[in-house]
Amino acid sequence: MSAPRATAAPRGHPLGGFGLNSSIATRLALGNGALLVALMLVTSAVFYFGTVGVLDRAIDSKIVSISNRLISTYGSRPPGDLAREINLELTDGIDSDTEIFLVITPEGRPLVGNLSRWPPADTPMGQLLNREVVRSGRPSSARLLVKPLPDGGRLYIGRDLSEQRSIRTLVLQALEAAAAVSLVLVVIGAWLFRHQLERRIGRIRRTAREIEAGNLDRRIAIQGNDEFARLGVDINRMLDRIEQLMHGVKHVSNAIAHDLRTPLGRVRAGLDAALTRHAGAPALADAARTAVEGIDDLIVLLNKLLQIAEAESGMRTESFKVVDLNRIIHDMVELYDAAAETAAVQLSVAGGGPVWASGDHDLLASAVASLIDNAIKYAGSGSRVELTARSDARGVAIVVRDNGPGVPAAELPRLTERFYRMDRARSQPGNGLGLAIVSAIATLHGGELQLTDAAPGLRATILLRAAPPVRPEAVPAPARPSLSVANLSNP
Amino acid sequence: MKSLIIEDEPDTAAYICNGLREAGHAVTHCDNGLDGLHLALNGSWDLIVIDRLLPGGVDGLAIVGKLRELQKATPVLIVSALTSTDERVRGLRSGGDDYISKPFAFSELLARVEALLRRSHPGQSSTQLQVADLTLDMRTFQVVRGTTPIALQPRELRLLAYLMRHEGQVVTRTMLLEGVWDCHFDPQTNVIDVQISRLRSKVDRGFSPALIHTIRGVGYLLGERA
Repeated sequence: MSAPRATAAPRGHPLGGFGLNSSIATRLALGNGALLVALMLVTSAVFYFGTVGVLDRAIDSKIVSISNRLISTYGSRPPGDLAREINLELTDGIDSDTEIFLVITPEGRPLVGNLSRWPPADTPMGQLLNREVVRSGRPSSARLLVKPLPDGGRLYIGRDLSEQRSIRTLVLQALEAAAAVSLVLVVIGAWLFRHQLERRIGRIRRTAREIEAGNLDRRIAIQGNDEFARLGVDINRMLDRIEQLMHGVKHVSNAIAHDLRTPLGRVRAGLDAALTRHAGAPALADAARTAVEGIDDLIVLLNKLLQIAEAESGMRTESFKVVDLNRIIHDMVELYDAAAETAAVQLSVAGGGPVWASGDHDLLASAVASLIDNAIKYAGSGSRVELTARSDARGVAIVVRDNGPGVPAAELPRLTERFYRMDRARSQPGNGLGLAIVSAIATLHGGELQLTDAAPGLRATILLRAAPPVRPEAVPAPARPSLSVANLSNP
Repeated sequence: MKSLIIEDEPDTAAYICNGLREAGHAVTHCDNGLDGLHLALNGSWDLIVIDRLLPGGVDGLAIVGKLRELQKATPVLIVSALTSTDERVRGLRSGGDDYISKPFAFSELLARVEALLRRSHPGQSSTQLQVADLTLDMRTFQVVRGTTPIALQPRELRLLAYLMRHEGQVVTRTMLLEGVWDCHFDPQTNVIDVQISRLRSKVDRGFSPALIHTIRGVGYLLGERA
């Protein structure tokens, strides 16, 4: 056990390491950052080629179109016409601070133009090139196209690129600044992201640790309504259920310790006494009989506890069938009518038609029996106990109502606790499990047991889910258990 | 009576075997499923008492199933620690005639065994039940003691019919709950006792001899003598 525990233990930080493998927050933040950087690169590339690139292409096409016009118009005319046209271009005030013209005679002398130094004669012709030149006495880099003239001379046409240079530099600088700021933002964002995740998860983990250490009543503090809040609510609900079950188990262990040990002690003491007193056979037989009765009571108690456990585990839900609650209460009233008569309690059923529910016949019948038994026992002689099976929009219900002394409001919620017995009930036979079982049966059926003040008396209501609509022929015969040959024929 | 007991747990087996021997049965005991199956199919038995969970790869229900498959009608009482209603129903569906949950009182088992044996040797099955001077007409639901008609409620009629069919046999409270009220749980109170005492006040009060007898610690018996 200790070895895997040691390897699983977090290193350094109490809530786990911050390495790439140990922090999903770091991984998510870095992944997100990488995505952002990629997005920025794409945006910058598009922006760059959309500005500087467009300008470059515009210059290139202008150079090509001017050269084509000059060559086609003046190529076949005397060189003086071309020189005049170029002088006109250079002095017309349009683009005059960037445009470049130069005509070289076949002898290699400049005829006209604004370049005082130009690329040598072996410069490739017909291609757009970047070259260093001296224009109007100032050195500058230029975009140049060299074209041959029909008389053997050369025509240089181009644009000064200084302006483009400065625009390009500006754009690049802006992009660099943006990249730097974005990187800083990504890092800060990643840190905030991780911090936030760590903070929320850390809270859950701390609560989990406290619970592991035994504080089962700790709960996760819920903030807002985000994913973590919802997770927290789910975990808290699970913890409530676990605590409730643990409480139940603890309570049952206490109860078993007390309520099983006492009768066991009594049985043992009785047998012990009979043995040590060297009593005669009749006394021994008596002791044995008393012991058997005591053990029978214990078996009853165990069966009841098992019944609760079985009902609470929800195991029997697959055996649910459509049952008529009205028939169940009639059957149980017929079972208890003699007992009620003896106790001078008036036991009756109100209402009539079938009330369909989905459930386990025996469990529901035993729940009703238990409620009738309680009512007869505690309502007292001369009281009335009335059973109703009703159905309305909220579902179906079995109501057992008496007009006896009732139960103080403060005690009502405790009645369904296992082994809980009211002071005045202690004089009656019983084990304090009856209502706990009824409650467990109601819960198993997706309903609940409600105990309310009927002023006077107590009203016990088993709320159940109505049976899903059924075809009439699928329903068991709703007839009351009347006397018939079939009923009487075979035991 | 030749009885076969298939039960692996030695104490329970001894408890059942000794009890049945005292009640006059010739008892054969077997402690595993395989031998049990062999014995059940090849012997001639008046009664088989069988535990559900058995060692030997063959469980109690399989033995009962095989027996019924071969059209053998030997009464079978299933004894089991599997007590829930579902298990009971499964046991009876597989062909068991009755089902008793562990732990049980031997008197309960004996009462059920006798009811089973009586059923396999049917006596009166006419439409008229009669014990001493008490008659119950199954067609008209008239109950007459001597010459006095007795008015009974429907459930009381069923209760009386059940007792009369088991004339001279002990019937337990559980048997009455199951047979008369179709109630497969134990209400853990004296409901049956008060039902019987009410029936007794109608059937026996003012008449002689008393027909309904209480058998202490076991149940009730209807007959001319206790």
